[in-house]
Amino acid sequence: MNRWTYIRNKAIWSLFTIIFVVVLNFFLFRVLPGDPARQGIRDPRLTPEAIEAIRIRFGLDKPVINCIQTINPFRAGSCEINPLDTQFFIYVKNLLRGELGISFYYNRPVSEILGERLWNTILLIGGGQILSIIVGVVFGILSAWKARTPLDYGVLVTGLVAWSLPTFWLGIILLFWGSTHGFPIGGKATPGMSSYPFFAQLTDMLWHLLLPTLTYTIVFMGEYMLIMRSSLLDVLSEDYILTAKAKGLSTFQILKDHALKNGMLPLVTIIAINLGFTVGGVIQIESVFSWPGLGGALFEAVSRRDFPMLQGGFLLIAISVILANFLADLMYSYLDPRVQTE
Amino acid sequence: MSIQTVEIKPIIPSASKNFWQTYRQSRLGIAGLILLLAILLTAIFAPLLAPYDPKSSEGVGAGQVYNAPSAAHWFGTDDAGRDVFSNFIYGARVSLIVGFFASFISVFIGGTIGIVAGYYGGRTENILMRFTDTMLVIPDLPLIVVIVALTRPSLLNIIFVIGIFGWTTTARMVRSQTLAVKSRKFVLRARAIGAGRAHIIRHHILPLVMPILVVQAVLVVSVAVLNESTLSFLGLGDPTALSWGQMLNYAFARGAMSTGAWWALVAPGIGIIWVVLGLILVGQGLEQVLNPRLNTHHLMPSRPTIKSEAAARSGEQVLLEVRNLSINYINEGQAPACAVEDVSFTLKEGELIGLVGESGCGKTTLMLGLLKLLPNAGQIVNGQVYFKNKEITTLSDDEVNKVRWRGISIVFQGAMNALNPVRTVGDQIAETIIKHLPDFDSAKIPARVTELLDLVGIAAEHKEQYPHQYSGGMRQRAMIAMALACNPEVVIADEPTTALDVMIQAQILELLDQLRKKLGLAIIFVTHDLGVVAEMCDRVLVMYGGVTAEYAAVDTIYNTPLHPYTQELLKAFPDLTKPKKKLSSIPGYPPRLDDLPAGCRFAPRCPAVFDRCRTEQPALHELAGELHVVSCHLVEAIK
Amino acid sequence: MKQKALYILVLAALILSACGGLAGGGGQPSVVRIGWASGPDSLNIGVAWLASAYTISELTYSSMYEFKLDGTLGLDLGTKETASADGLVYTYKIRDGVKFHDGQPLTAKDVAFTYNLVMAHEDFPTLHSYVEHFVSVEAPDASTVVITLDQPIPNIASKLVFLYILPEHIWKDHSEDDAAAAYENLEMIGSGPFKMLEYKPNEFIRLGVNKDYYGAVPKVDEVIFQVFSSSDVLIQALKTGQVDMITSVPNTSVETLKSAENVKVVTGAPLSPDLEDIIFNMVDPANCPTADGGLCTGHPALRDKQVRLAMAYATDKNKIIEIVKLGLATPGIALIPSGMGEWFNIEVKDFEYDPAKGNQLLDEAGYKDANGDGIRDMPDGSRPLTFRMNWPSSDNEAPRIAELLSEMWRELGITLEMQAVESDALTSKCCPALDYDLMIWGWVADPDPNSLLIVPTTDQIPTGYNETGYSNPRYDELFAAQGAELDKDKRIKMAWEMQQLVHDDVAYIIPYYPYAVQAYRTDRFTGWLDTETKLALEDPSSLTIIEPVK
Repeated sequence: MNRWTYIRNKAIWSLFTIIFVVVLNFFLFRVLPGDPARQGIRDPRLTPEAIEAIRIRFGLDKPVINCIQTINPFRAGSCEINPLDTQFFIYVKNLLRGELGISFYYNRPVSEILGERLWNTILLIGGGQILSIIVGVVFGILSAWKARTPLDYGVLVTGLVAWSLPTFWLGIILLFWGSTHGFPIGGKATPGMSSYPFFAQLTDMLWHLLLPTLTYTIVFMGEYMLIMRSSLLDVLSEDYILTAKAKGLSTFQILKDHALKNGMLPLVTIIAINLGFTVGGVIQIESVFSWPGLGGALFEAVSRRDFPMLQGGFLLIAISVILANFLADLMYSYLDPRVQTE
Repeated sequence: MSIQTVEIKPIIPSASKNFWQTYRQSRLGIAGLILLLAILLTAIFAPLLAPYDPKSSEGVGAGQVYNAPSAAHWFGTDDAGRDVFSNFIYGARVSLIVGFFASFISVFIGGTIGIVAGYYGGRTENILMRFTDTMLVIPDLPLIVVIVALTRPSLLNIIFVIGIFGWTTTARMVRSQTLAVKSRKFVLRARAIGAGRAHIIRHHILPLVMPILVVQAVLVVSVAVLNESTLSFLGLGDPTALSWGQMLNYAFARGAMSTGAWWALVAPGIGIIWVVLGLILVGQGLEQVLNPRLNTHHLMPSRPTIKSEAAARSGEQVLLEVRNLSINYINEGQAPACAVEDVSFTLKEGELIGLVGESGCGKTTLMLGLLKLLPNAGQIVNGQVYFKNKEITTLSDDEVNKVRWRGISIVFQGAMNALNPVRTVGDQIAETIIKHLPDFDSAKIPARVTELLDLVGIAAEHKEQYPHQYSGGMRQRAMIAMALACNPEVVIADEPTTALDVMIQAQILELLDQLRKKLGLAIIFVTHDLGVVAEMCDRVLVMYGGVTAEYAAVDTIYNTPLHPYTQELLKAFPDLTKPKKKLSSIPGYPPRLDDLPAGCRFAPRCPAVFDRCRTEQPALHELAGELHVVSCHLVEAIK
Repeated sequence: MKQKALYILVLAALILSACGGLAGGGGQPSVVRIGWASGPDSLNIGVAWLASAYTISELTYSSMYEFKLDGTLGLDLGTKETASADGLVYTYKIRDGVKFHDGQPLTAKDVAFTYNLVMAHEDFPTLHSYVEHFVSVEAPDASTVVITLDQPIPNIASKLVFLYILPEHIWKDHSEDDAAAAYENLEMIGSGPFKMLEYKPNEFIRLGVNKDYYGAVPKVDEVIFQVFSSSDVLIQALKTGQVDMITSVPNTSVETLKSAENVKVVTGAPLSPDLEDIIFNMVDPANCPTADGGLCTGHPALRDKQVRLAMAYATDKNKIIEIVKLGLATPGIALIPSGMGEWFNIEVKDFEYDPAKGNQLLDEAGYKDANGDGIRDMPDGSRPLTFRMNWPSSDNEAPRIAELLSEMWRELGITLEMQAVESDALTSKCCPALDYDLMIWGWVADPDPNSLLIVPTTDQIPTGYNETGYSNPRYDELFAAQGAELDKDKRIKMAWEMQQLVHDDVAYIIPYYPYAVQAYRTDRFTGWLDTETKLALEDPSSLTIIEPVK
């Protein structure tokens, strides 16, 4: 099996997974009726006619899917119905056009709202991932290299505790520590900054980004430290490290040229698989720090029962994670020559 | 959470009676167990421990809200004026119940899928594992959030939803374990005698899969506890069940921090960290029992050489001289193990010395000791190694690095693992040249690598390939090429032919011998097979239990072996020149190095043993005439 | 953590340099920064749901009437209201010389356009209900608007107050079919005292002063509304001076905020009063609306007024207020909150808390504990008085109320099975399924009492608002009459009687009407209107008069 076959198989599998998620995502939200007209607070001004008008507006008056009778007894479709006029078909059609429906809450296209927020989340995840990977890898390496020294135990305990921290809890603690130490108390920018020069806006945003990123870094570095440490410990007990040592290479050369790449391999997989979990963390961080990103959008959508937003957000996240996994597989195939013979 | 994604290799558990002894050695595991037990007991005896009933509004009111910790309220009061300490204790119940039940569901699903996929194989396995992989990449927390948001936020729902999304890693691990177990003899035997599948799974597979299920269960509990708290924090928890997450939710939603009521946030947070940390630590402890890591860490410095008075040297012009070398392994809390004791030999240019003995006789330790490559526990406790008249056992790492490979290189046994799997072979050879021959024209390095590979009979096109693309014999030859890269004066070949088939063995041996003649190398050839070296060696050093049994020129060893061990080894070696000789193997095994017999180390297996052998260790007797050293009481008579 | 320290250091340096750059920028504009828990859902008021959308609209738009803090309505854009004798035609004169933020004049044509737009759009769910009896709206000249109705309505002011005047020259391109509901209206061109400067959904809104405003021009230059994800953060922002005012304060934080430096906490009736109600399922399975999907599983005992009365006697509203609201609410009587001023019947005397009386009532009605398990049973012994209690899971005060009620009613020998339910599911549980015993839920009021008075009418039973199944011919009669009564005093009398009826029949138990609690920094701006009946510091009434502290 050569690398291309491997990549092709992975690509097919990713595509299959995406299709699965798309279908799952649709039915998940149809099995239980979610209606924009039914809000948490009852408003006596809402007449049944108004509710029906909303249903039409959001396409909820159409049958869910052709021929399947069991999905929702109130909105079942028989086979006589034009399959193109079902919610499912419209959903798929809209998806292909990059549309994710209209938010019940914002009354705006979900794709537009999520699009604005995607970058904020990428900023947070990007910065946080890079920092936590750097910290995790550096301390993981130090810890594995200096195994069974106080440094190692220090890293181990720090890693384990960081791993056990509930993300939102750490966020709250940091937020309140920060609020009394001159940090902004949430949000992405100081309102009114838009008239200032770009550089001032940038620093203002970075300043707002600092604590969320720190939370992210602390929560994830623990895991990376532990994985790096454990994977490197495995590598360092391999025979080829002894060979490298016998070759007269210095410790630094051995770590750099022989241990690191091999030790990083499990991390690549874990980082990719982790993205799913990362998103969970991002939901918490963004809602604690009022950071206007995807996770926050998802959290708001949950508390507002904004189903199109929830649906769109989940789909976007799931597809991103699947694609990230695919990228990780590609990267792995370049990093590890053995992949081709698997 | 991705703690599940740490791969545990398929394992065969050690006997359960050793379980506790092994577990006890994991300090972290013990700490975790203590943490966990404490919180479990707290949860179980909550009604006895909690000073207030969390459901009661007794004594609660406007003046009671967010009171600071006091004698009446150890952890202060919450947003409704209730005792945080009591809530904390009862909260442990809810959090743990969610954790354990969700974990049970996860492990049950994961275990079933894993066993079925692993055992039935074929299409079933394919479908199940595809499904598992699909579920693995779907972000679980958002999905859980979505589903809980869509359904009723009852504790049961939360348990169920968390449970059905946490099984993927368990399934993958159980599957690989089942695969490993399935091909084991007793399972095959059970299948051969026609036992039913259900019977085999229940009686043969499940017991061996169980340990993995247990470790997974423990880790999944921690994930579930965290997930529950996150759900509660997001306002999706069951408001009637006051878990730690729910306490945090109330505190955060109702102004604890801005009120300065840190206790309302810190107490439940500590609770979560406590349990999760406890679980992870127990998981680590369990993993240590089930999947013990080898304790070789090649970058840990070995213990410093104990300097000893140099004995008088032979004065001969030799390349390498080993004098009274003794190496111990020192593990904490255990008696030192004498791996090598008082071994001496010399090597001249172009000579080939055979180092012979069974496995575990200290041969490899001796070789590693020569280049100060001993593992962490190893220590040179006596003796010297002179390479070109320079004592190297006391050199610093930097200095000894100059001797390594440039002066003395090693061909390791089992070249599959001795070559780095993610770098090309050519690259690994070139690396040594760059390191040791800084003056070498870097443009000529590729040509030099090709030349080296050519020397060992590997075509140039394989240069850019990775070790896994090589056959076993090629790898061993590549290893030899690498050992020759810096024109060393001594090559140590440590059982270079083990695990290779006979034809290839012969090729490699011939190759080494040719190279020796061509390049004028001195070679130390380590082997357990006396026959292998018979034709090439100048001298043979037979080791047993870490000491020199017999050391002499090859003819002497073959024709007049004096040590019973040498004699026994020769019997085990088919001599093609003398047909119809009965082959025999030596009964028993070499002694354990940490438990050496009091007298002669070969005494328990020696056919010629007598009383003195059992109490007194024989000295090294040097026979007159040609070089011949024997450590046996019997020799005294001859002497 | 050296790296972390370094990171902070570098950033701090960057910030300092940035701040230095900013300081040189000239005179400081006075900016009021307001923190709130959620921004508007949409700037298109036609499809907006949230109070925050109305808050912003109040500031950026003008409408025929203004809603004053004493609960009354007064002419704003309109200068004169004339009603025909039959109450079917209203003629308004509007101000001259009013301009939209983009400089275009606001005339009667814009008013008529707006009202017609709302009438044409059923997909403007809340606004459309305000034009229910409108037949036509015309603008015969630039300053006259004529509204024709199909029946006399007593409360046209309360209908028009939320119909903010939209500029025709902008909206005419977005008025057809779906386009109106889909229009995002990000410019939000209106004619109010403030104009939209910048809108970052769910982050912040910046409003600038409208110098051409026809009324009192605000004394501040800018108002910023910033969203904070939780009330805790909100308070911290006020305490640390990152905002100057917050629109809501959780009760638990009132005490601390009071003691905070330069912060003043104020309470009052909310602009839109709300209430928390305990709902009884009183629908008899015999009358079950099965055709609409009715299940009618209500506990039979709750159809007995004696039982409800006993429960009302055993409900200690003061204790609930004390614990759940920390005293920041008034005990409730009926569905009209006290914050609605004259509409609220101050004469209704609530059942005094007396669990012994409650027990006595149950004893008299024959609900005895037949099997000695401590729980009373039906007189025929068929089932115990164990009620299901549900509430929407989004309500974080309801579980506290439920726990207290459970404790209080246990003294009556009544037990509760408590369960939070997602509000969507609760809606279907309620109506038309009627698949519950007790619920805790809430209503929010319109300025006119009609919207709350309609709730317990018989017409609303299976699929409308009447969750309890309460049906009283006298009440229905009164409801119909008040809806056509043009004499305000008579109408008030009717509304009072209706409240008395609902209270006496124990159709609901209303634990409380919550206060609005807000807080502002005293060291930043002065002049906040914090002593009126209603409290709304974010209302134009405050924001147009406050000025920076000198």
